Amino acid sequence: MAALGAWRLLRPGRRWFSETVPGAPSPPGSPLYPPVVASVTAKSKAAKSRRLQRFNQRVHEAATVEEKLRLYGKLQRPKYTVYPQTFALNADRWYRSFTRTVLVPGMPPRGAAAKPPVAAAGATVEAGRAPEPGAEAPAAARAPGDAEAAGDAEAQAAAVAPGAAADAVPCVDIGELRSLTCDALLQESFYQNKKRPFLYRDQDHTPGPFLTQLVSTLAASLCGRNPLLAASSLDLSPEVNYYWHHGEEVVVHGHRKGRVDPVRFQIDDNPHLQIRVPKQLPEVVPLESDLGDVPVIDHKPSKLPLFKKQYENKVFIGSKVADPCCYGHTQFHLLPDKLKRERFIRDRLEDQIEVVYRSNGIASLFAWTAAQAMYQGFWNEADVTRPFVSQAVVTDGKYFAFFCYQLNTLALSAETIKNNHRKNICWGTDSKPLYDVVEDGNVKGFNDEVLLQLVHFLLNRPKEL
Amino acid sequence: VFPGVRQAQWLTKTKLVEGLPPAVQGIVDNPALGLQELEERAKHVVSHARLWDTAEVAPRREKYCPVLFENLIHICRLMSGKYPSLSKRMLARNCRIAATWERESILLQVRGLSGILMNSMTPIPPVASKEEILATKEHVLETFYPIAPTIDLQEVNVYRELNDTGQCFRDGYPYSHPHTLFFLESANVRTDRFRPEQLRAKMLMFAFGNALAKAKALHGNDPKVLEQPVVVQSIGTDGQLFQFMVFQLNTTDLVSNDGVKNLVWIDSDQNLYERAQCVPEVKKGVVMKPAGISGFQPDTFKKFLALYLHGTV
Repeated sequence: MAALGAWRLLRPGRRWFSETVPGAPSPPGSPLYPPVVASVTAKSKAAKSRRLQRFNQRVHEAATVEEKLRLYGKLQRPKYTVYPQTFALNADRWYRSFTRTVLVPGMPPRGAAAKPPVAAAGATVEAGRAPEPGAEAPAAARAPGDAEAAGDAEAQAAAVAPGAAADAVPCVDIGELRSLTCDALLQESFYQNKKRPFLYRDQDHTPGPFLTQLVSTLAASLCGRNPLLAASSLDLSPEVNYYWHHGEEVVVHGHRKGRVDPVRFQIDDNPHLQIRVPKQLPEVVPLESDLGDVPVIDHKPSKLPLFKKQYENKVFIGSKVADPCCYGHTQFHLLPDKLKRERFIRDRLEDQIEVVYRSNGIASLFAWTAAQAMYQGFWNEADVTRPFVSQAVVTDGKYFAFFCYQLNTLALSAETIKNNHRKNICWGTDSKPLYDVVEDGNVKGFNDEVLLQLVHFLLNRPKEL
Repeated sequence: VFPGVRQAQWLTKTKLVEGLPPAVQGIVDNPALGLQELEERAKHVVSHARLWDTAEVAPRREKYCPVLFENLIHICRLMSGKYPSLSKRMLARNCRIAATWERESILLQVRGLSGILMNSMTPIPPVASKEEILATKEHVLETFYPIAPTIDLQEVNVYRELNDTGQCFRDGYPYSHPHTLFFLESANVRTDRFRPEQLRAKMLMFAFGNALAKAKALHGNDPKVLEQPVVVQSIGTDGQLFQFMVFQLNTTDLVSNDGVKNLVWIDSDQNLYERAQCVPEVKKGVVMKPAGISGFQPDTFKKFLALYLHGTV
């Protein structure tokens, strides 16, 4: 700038010969005056954005992940508590808008096609899916009900694959797994003498222990096929928390009235069971895929109903950052008595039954995957560079619904969402019964599909293993 | 008042042998089982239970004791990839046990929630040879004259003599043989927890109760010397100290003081680790004790796993 000032003084009246290089006085090594930036403490928009920048800089430069998480959640303000298990009507639409999630019905076309996918015109050839020989265990164990992707090239290619996969020797002994499941079910519901269930605690009496037994025995018997399970960590009733900002609002009352604030959310979840693994699950679709639309809701979140509270901003996947098993594999959720099917049928809200499962799946999985991403150092200013995938099973003891979630973006706050075209994706099924009834030491109407889907979930692993 | 195990020995007509039986010790020392690689996992699992499991700074005993147990059982269960017959086991929580017997004209009964019970489809083969069993005839039970052996026991009027593990499970249960009992002393306050000696006595009484109920279910109610001794194992812990016990029921003839006695092998006070430091202890800027698990003893975990594998390996 000193150079510019000198140039203006010298220019009128001076003639420069054409061959002489207009030698501007060489700029000094360092600027003479410090850069002019907005103030830090003033009550102005520029000052506010400068404070925000300084905060972002501090978080970027944090030495450890624990320090980053501490700075991220340092400022406490009233925030909406989002409950994954909720009786609110159409909660899954609201949760999808809060978390920028696209819901795709059915399960993702899993496992590779036996033959390379036939590239139809303009079809999205999945780059992440290398063709695998059909004799491999994951393809062989793939449930027949899986190839349900809506009208994709993969569906056609995957539809070809079951033919090949069915020819391959089924590596999973479904009969033995069925007998293990029935044993667990019968032990909890029939053979063991228990006292009567406590009032409104039916879920703790039979379905809870049954789910624990089922998952632990299935995981143990399948760990020979899936080395990831052999290195996994099983948590009983862990805590999963996540805190994020999405959207903006004007503060309504109080000493901060009139200021524009981000809308803060917190999920505090207690899955019944979760499996954490040391290696990440492979991505299902590439990072920038667009499989649908995110619902846009014009109302304030408090209309759901959601209520605000101010307390500690926790981000937690189930164990601290130092744990080597820092990626998630599968969560198992048990619906409480308050949300059982009979209640909804009695209140003539049958369509809300599936909403309960879906909202639980979306909210819990978003919290878990986002917390996993934060444990790796990503946050909404430093968006994820690879997708985080986790699975969940939501059940009330008899009906099972399966969900798979891919987190593509963490940037949901008002500034970062403007240029963000990525969306998170959740695949989910409807709830199906595992069995009809347990009578006299026999399980009647056992449904193999549900068991196969569960086995398939447990066998999911990265391609290198 | 008394070291509890001595009293329990008299009440159950048992001879005590220090250390684990040779069959179990053989599993511990067997290099083919690959117990070395599991050491690393065991250490992680202990760190998880004691350090990482909670969003607070340090988990409390009520939380970390069951979590440690679940994690150890998870590692043991994952061995069923190698030994498929391990899948014939089932854990049962909160099962109630009741067994009655007579001891020199005193009617005794053990009842209650016996912790976590692991059942298996096949019984554990007897651990002591026939000669050892016969040799117990010479063993004289320690009496506590002039103190009555039923001191500190609660005297109740028993209106119904309940007798089977069938009280815990209905008939036709496929996993009918009790394999191992687990006792977790997870109360936060030290006075609510059993001391190691009392814990061992409790383990002995409940193992005896389970074995007696199973023997009566198999062989009938008449008191006699068993052709096929019933073996029940027991592990008790408070989150750090482990007590291992293998009990073999040789006879249901408990009225008299002589004859064949039952046998119990006890390996007591095995530490799994020395201390678990959640926050490093710093004095005057110098780190005295770094954060983490120190003094990890892999042998204790190996014994835990060996007791789990006993009967199928």
